[in-house]
Amino acid sequence: MTRRLPRIGAHRRRSRRGDVIGIAVVALLMLALPLVASSSVINVGVYALIYALAALGLSLLMGLAGQVSLGQAGFFAIGAYTQAVLVTRYEWSGLPASVLAVAVTMTAALLVGLPLLRLRGHYLALATLGFGIIVTVLATESDFLGATSGIFGITKPELNNRTYNSPTEYYLLLVPVVLLGLWLARNIVESRIGRALGAVNDSEVAAESLGVDTFRLRVQVFVLSAAYASVAGTAFAHWLGVINPNAANFPLSVKFLLMAVLGGVGSVYGAVVGAFAVEGLDDGLRRLIPELLPGAVGEVQLIGFGILLTTIMIFLPGGLHQLWTGARRRMAGDTSAPVPEDEGEARLEPVADDVPLLAREGRPAPGTPLLEVRGLTKRFGGVTAVDDFDLTVAAGEIVALIGPNGAGKTTAFNMISGAVPPTAGEVTMAGTRVEGRKPHVFARAGATRTFQNLQIFASATVLGNVMVGRHLRSRSGMLGAALVLPARREERAVEESARELLELLGLGEDADRLAVDLPFGRQRLVEIARALALDPDLLLLDEPMAGLSGTERRELARLLRRLRAGGMAIVLVEHDVEAVLALADRVAVLEDGVRIALGTPDEVRHDPAVIAAYLGVEPEDEAATAAAEAGTP
Amino acid sequence: MTDLLQLLFAGLSQGAVYALVAIGFVAIFTVSGVINLAQGEFAALAGLVAISAVGSGLPLLAAVVLAVLSVALVAVIMERLVIFPVKRMTTLVSLILTLGVSTGLKALMLLVYGPNAEGLTPLTPGSFSLGGVSIRYQELWILLIAGVVSLAVYWFYERTLAGKSLRACAEQPVAARLVGISLTKASLLSFLIAGTVGAIAGVLASPIYFTSWESGLTLGLKGFVAATLGGLISVRGAVLGGLLLGVLETLTAGYISTGLRDAVAFLLLIIVLVARPAGIFGRTAEARV
Amino acid sequence: MGRRTATTRTAALLAAMTLSLAACAESEEGGGGSGASADETGPITIGAVLDITGAGASLGVPERQALELLAAQLEEEGGIDGREVELIIEDNQSTEDGAAKAMNKLVNEDEVDIVLGASRTGPSLAMRPIAESSETPMISLAANQAIVDGSEWVFKTAQNDRVVIERMIDYMAEQGWSTIGLARDASGFGEGVQEMFDEVGAEQGLSVVATEKFAPDATDFTAQMVNLRNAGADVNVIWGIPPAAGLAQRAYDQLGIETPVMQSHGIGNQVFLDTSGEAAAGMVAPLGRLVVAEQLPDDDPQKEIITEFIDAYTAEFGAGPSTFSGHAYDGWQLAVDALREVGTDPQAIREHLEGVTDFTGISGTFTMTPEDHSGLTKEALVLVTVEDGQWQLVPDQAD
Repeated sequence: MTRRLPRIGAHRRRSRRGDVIGIAVVALLMLALPLVASSSVINVGVYALIYALAALGLSLLMGLAGQVSLGQAGFFAIGAYTQAVLVTRYEWSGLPASVLAVAVTMTAALLVGLPLLRLRGHYLALATLGFGIIVTVLATESDFLGATSGIFGITKPELNNRTYNSPTEYYLLLVPVVLLGLWLARNIVESRIGRALGAVNDSEVAAESLGVDTFRLRVQVFVLSAAYASVAGTAFAHWLGVINPNAANFPLSVKFLLMAVLGGVGSVYGAVVGAFAVEGLDDGLRRLIPELLPGAVGEVQLIGFGILLTTIMIFLPGGLHQLWTGARRRMAGDTSAPVPEDEGEARLEPVADDVPLLAREGRPAPGTPLLEVRGLTKRFGGVTAVDDFDLTVAAGEIVALIGPNGAGKTTAFNMISGAVPPTAGEVTMAGTRVEGRKPHVFARAGATRTFQNLQIFASATVLGNVMVGRHLRSRSGMLGAALVLPARREERAVEESARELLELLGLGEDADRLAVDLPFGRQRLVEIARALALDPDLLLLDEPMAGLSGTERRELARLLRRLRAGGMAIVLVEHDVEAVLALADRVAVLEDGVRIALGTPDEVRHDPAVIAAYLGVEPEDEAATAAAEAGTP
Repeated sequence: MTDLLQLLFAGLSQGAVYALVAIGFVAIFTVSGVINLAQGEFAALAGLVAISAVGSGLPLLAAVVLAVLSVALVAVIMERLVIFPVKRMTTLVSLILTLGVSTGLKALMLLVYGPNAEGLTPLTPGSFSLGGVSIRYQELWILLIAGVVSLAVYWFYERTLAGKSLRACAEQPVAARLVGISLTKASLLSFLIAGTVGAIAGVLASPIYFTSWESGLTLGLKGFVAATLGGLISVRGAVLGGLLLGVLETLTAGYISTGLRDAVAFLLLIIVLVARPAGIFGRTAEARV
Repeated sequence: MGRRTATTRTAALLAAMTLSLAACAESEEGGGGSGASADETGPITIGAVLDITGAGASLGVPERQALELLAAQLEEEGGIDGREVELIIEDNQSTEDGAAKAMNKLVNEDEVDIVLGASRTGPSLAMRPIAESSETPMISLAANQAIVDGSEWVFKTAQNDRVVIERMIDYMAEQGWSTIGLARDASGFGEGVQEMFDEVGAEQGLSVVATEKFAPDATDFTAQMVNLRNAGADVNVIWGIPPAAGLAQRAYDQLGIETPVMQSHGIGNQVFLDTSGEAAAGMVAPLGRLVVAEQLPDDDPQKEIITEFIDAYTAEFGAGPSTFSGHAYDGWQLAVDALREVGTDPQAIREHLEGVTDFTGISGTFTMTPEDHSGLTKEALVLVTVEDGQWQLVPDQAD
């Protein structure tokens, strides 16, 4: 049940320009409207701009965090009500009031988001639906908020002794606000945070393993999205002059959703396009349908809406944005053909063996115990996958974990890295207890991993993948990202270090390709580069050699030895037993979840239990399988 | 005490309507993972069709049958036109598609039947008093028919081959395909069930709660809350959830505040989703229908 | 990082354009001023904001029909002083924000000369500030006195809730009752009603002992009626509009409550009779004379005009009008009268409306003053009950 939304900033490199062009086009159209359109169109335009802000917030939530909210109007209403109360009851002027209104809404969103964002997918959608309706009911029941009638008499805003009274004036007041909103949104999408969230959408476990605190980021985006809604709410309150419980109600949330989807969740400016399209259609249908069907009264234009909504979802799930990108791609001719499988091997740089790599200040001294695993056990129903597993790994050593298929190696990895909670046992990484906690805790403690079944970030480029690995080594948060300037230097540094790593692994030329377009073996290297980008003290590699050619394997082994020389500890699960025995300092052998041996390669090689259980059984076949996977018979 | 009984009874009959709508949600969700936001519109449409049929001189029973059949047909057409063509059904897609259908149906009802709320003629008009508790005959009909329909649906899933196949689709889609159960047919069948049950809810509720073009929204949302309380995949849970919701609502209205009635339903929804996503009555992570 | 610089430059350019455009708009708009046009030659536009869908549909639909009927009649007569009269009807979906939106549109976009509506109190209240700030005359068709209290540009045709309550209190005092149980509409129509009963009733020793609320679109009234039953008042008042008022009446009857029940003037249409059915028998409500036109004595000053309207309306729509269509009729006639007398200058219209004296309409005989923008007294109401599904004048009422 993978349920994925199109993601903002997918196909990163192309979209960066696409978004800027999109925003520029949208901006020009918005500005041109008052010059050409009649007052009735501008009246519609005012609502479109107001709603566009709320839809933009929702589109960020959907595009970045991959979550659908059916309660966006709830935050819209909280913003609007706060503004109305401050302006009418306490006689605040509009601007300071709106600052407080946004702050109040963001606080509310935080309080709502903390419990609700533990939910995913349709559960979250429905819980937010409930939230919106609860806001409606509370507003209806509150005499302070004017009960069903709401609050009247909110004046049109005044700035510099000028009242924004007519639709045109209000429209032009709103255009810069919407542009600013677009600008901030785009910056966030392009930032460290946006990158991390995009990674979460592609593979949550991989992103977490690189130190991305998924829950925290989701809450942040949720709050941000509410902030957009509240700005829209304040603008709405001033324009309409009245705010009542309907502002929080389900139909408005649906309208926001429709705008975001119609415009295309995969783009930043889509929400604005969607808002204009929806409001324009609404107005147009209202005029058209009574002429087509005389005697039709009321909200009959909803027929058009219903048909439109379903048709778009069936034929154009990416919204108007999809039309646009489709047209662009056709015009440009698609150049992103996948790299053919046989295009040669990754060119690892030939360097003298054992030159220390990625050594840095503050790395634990070789021999210091880093990872301690005690009594780790996992039971699935009646089956014990891992039974009372112990292991200590010190800085600067390579430990291999081997054993037949189904011996529990990957399960052990999953428990150590926090992806799966153990049934019993403890895992301590650099003094931090990590078992049963999320992978990002493990990453924060200075350790990360790669995956047996590749968890590449499919919608990002190779470079983008590796940049996610720098998540913990960079700091800019949402605010900094939104404002671009403080985050810019850091972004440049992140990009540079990511490119350096790619060069190191011989992936330099692939940097700007989509990672999924690479052959299988090189995707493994991308995962390793991504993990190294974290600059970990401990690296867990799950079958890093699978899919690599002979040369690539030798080069990778050399890389690992150099990393060891740099002070890094490495634990690897590997099928290529000979390669492992040649590489590792110590070897642990698992059989049916039980550790049957632990020692130097020599000791293990001659351990009778190991020979009986594993090496003696069918070593040839094992090697053959590994070779077949690598594509070199 | 009489008051409590009176409120409980009102809550149960309201809850029975929720329960029927909730069964519709469950029927569709288990098969295709679609949350059908048009479920409430099925009920509203059935009510309006029956009312206008009675208005044009049809006998009540014939009107009811006509309403149920036509709504079942609408549900089937909806599945073919809107759900079937979509290859990758995500949460968002399903929510928006069914919202689209719901919006379109609403507007169509407004166009055809006008904006006024009306009530269908009751199956048996009038009421009687039992120990101070006043009971409408129609409420007895609601409870009786809702009970029979729920049992029938339950029996269908538990005892018939077709029902078991539907359950298989929900629990083991790959295995179901291997043994030759077509997911396409299953989806169609699930909409047929949802349409029929929703329509029955609509005609039962109309004499007491009235029907208008927009009454499907609230009914659908409440039915959905009921289904969620029951874990979204269990007919038994949906029925219990519906009854519980109905009773809680009237008790809140009676003893706390009538205005908070709707908040209760959705507060409960959020609490249950966060604390017990498998539903109040659900055993965790055990798919049951 | 040339790309970044380029985008920054684009942004700066756009910002500059925005500012210059804003400046252009300012000069175009000139002084701004009132939204309504004072053009003395083109067509006259009358806007109407009605509760056509939603909880107020049973009010808004007949009002729309009445307005369309009257507009068609006026067109046949050749308009006002040879000027064509255009009627623009907007649906507010029975919501306050819908009403404000529609009002904004009528004022800004259509630049109407006068606005009628809304059908109910809440939406009317939402429209009022827009009417006041844009200086557009507005005639509401709703009840609550708050709509016109202290207003400059807003008038209304439905009888004030205050006069309705006066009439009800008179009747209650006559019957010797002293305690009132109230179940009221939770929206604008019911707001402040309890306070007004207490205030008006104080003199005659009447007070409200229990208040229950129901949403205008509520369908289950068990809880409210059970609570009313327990309150044990001498008389219970249901204050709402159909269908809710009718359904509440039914729930009241079904629970076997023997206490007499009164309803407000919000129920004067067929929908109430249909939804309440036999349960309405014996209920007493103060209503406009329209519903009992045939039973009026021939010397009643309103009888002729009411009968005429009923005939025309029935001929057009096949069913009789409701008191709500009567409110619309009055609003239209007041507006047309003012436009005919003083043209389309908003200030002149406003002043003319404030000077209306002894204007015979469907809902009563209007006499407005700068202080009273409603113009009806409790004489505009007669007490009515229901027998065999028909409205009946309560005999022997002090009139």
